[in-house]
Amino acid sequence: MNALQIAASGMQAQEINVEVLSNNIANMRTTGFKRQRAEFADLLYQNLRRMGTDSSDSGTVVPTGSQIGSGVRLTATARIMSQGSVLSTSKPLDVAILGDGYFRIQMPDGRTAYTRDGSFERSATGTLVTVDGYTVGQGITIPANARDITINAQGVIQAMIGNSTAAQTLGRLELATFVNAPGLEATGNNLLLETAASGAAQIANPGDPGIGTILQANLEMSNVNPVSEISELIAAQRAYEMNSRVIKAVDEMLSSTANIR
Amino acid sequence: MDNTQLIGLSRQAVLRRQIDVIANNLANLNTAGFRAQYIRFSEYPMPGAEATGLTGEDAALSFVRDAGALNDMATGSVRQTGNPLDIALDGPGWFVINTDDGPRYSRNGAFRLDAEGNLVTADGHYVQSESGNITFAAGERHITIAADGTISSSEGQKGRLRIVGFEDDLTLEREGENLFVGADPQPVETPSVVQGAIEQSNVQAIQEIADMVRVTRAYTSLAKLFSDAGELQSDAINQLGQLDS
Repeated sequence: MNALQIAASGMQAQEINVEVLSNNIANMRTTGFKRQRAEFADLLYQNLRRMGTDSSDSGTVVPTGSQIGSGVRLTATARIMSQGSVLSTSKPLDVAILGDGYFRIQMPDGRTAYTRDGSFERSATGTLVTVDGYTVGQGITIPANARDITINAQGVIQAMIGNSTAAQTLGRLELATFVNAPGLEATGNNLLLETAASGAAQIANPGDPGIGTILQANLEMSNVNPVSEISELIAAQRAYEMNSRVIKAVDEMLSSTANIR
Repeated sequence: MDNTQLIGLSRQAVLRRQIDVIANNLANLNTAGFRAQYIRFSEYPMPGAEATGLTGEDAALSFVRDAGALNDMATGSVRQTGNPLDIALDGPGWFVINTDDGPRYSRNGAFRLDAEGNLVTADGHYVQSESGNITFAAGERHITIAADGTISSSEGQKGRLRIVGFEDDLTLEREGENLFVGADPQPVETPSVVQGAIEQSNVQAIQEIADMVRVTRAYTSLAKLFSDAGELQSDAINQLGQLDS
């Protein structure tokens, strides 16, 4: 009887499903977080009686064969890249992306990471950095005496310097887009890395055709919908229970066979 | 062994197979586009004795064997996901997926783009339109798929999803990975394609659990039958073999 292994594969799949759902719920309030979804596929089938084979010498064929499956496996934990809701923060260096695109971040090890989390700060030297202190973009320096910093929809950062009444342009936030953004690899800390599946990053200015725009003094929240996560959690839990019931039923059958005298 | 045990064993053998099928259905309760299977049994009558010298007829005996595992091809429930590359088929039809071994058919519409912008399945196989692979350029946005399967984006129309049907869906063979193999696909003229939704597995969990309980009970009652038959034999041996001293 394969049923024991089949049910075990079902329990394992639902366990991963619950892990993915709980990670979504845990990151419900994480800035720029994109929810994941576990996807499954059935495993190979064993052909016990193949359809289409002759069932007699007079040419009749077996119309539907006997195929026994062997369980389920996880195929992907796909990221759903829909827009998260936008929360007003009144902090001038908080920026949200409305639409497609990622901020480019220089990691300390030299790699380039991408993020939707726009909660930026100024470093001691005035460079625009993430909350972990990683440089945003190519490095935009905001002088110590800058005031009234504004970031427009196209990502241009302007400020009044000193006593000047004319705004001075300090730099521009650029956005990276990918052919297959769900193919980016998450490394934690809200950072994503380019992979062979995502395609190469294409750098563009915010507001270009098809590229998102920037909204200052706002943050993009996660796109996790707690109601649907909880209902899926219930479904996953029930599916897990049903698979464990199969194991119990098979155990009962085997023990009855073992007890024949 | 006598006939009681042999017939009982034939029943137990198919029950074991049935619990495998039930376990597979339940394991795939959350597999998008999965089709439940049901096992069908048939009677296999034993040829009777032909000698006529006996008093009374030979008892009619029949064994049971499994005739096949049928696919339940009913449409599963469609769940809204809001993801533009999730596509469900509401009603008959199959997506055509190009694999290394030729075209395969699937009801699982959880698609995505690969690095070159091709529409692919989770395993990276190409989803087919009426004119081959479906490719989106880097700058294309707002991918929409109309109810008849027409794909369009910011760059205009991109062709139409290839949706096929079969004369008899039950003849499709399962291959795992949510894929089916079939012969002689015919295009479906008026498919009903739903964008932003996924078709769930059509496994009826309650039905499966009820069947599972029935299988377990039938199996254990047969085990009891074997015990009883064994006891009968040992009683017969003991009593008939007693020597009157």
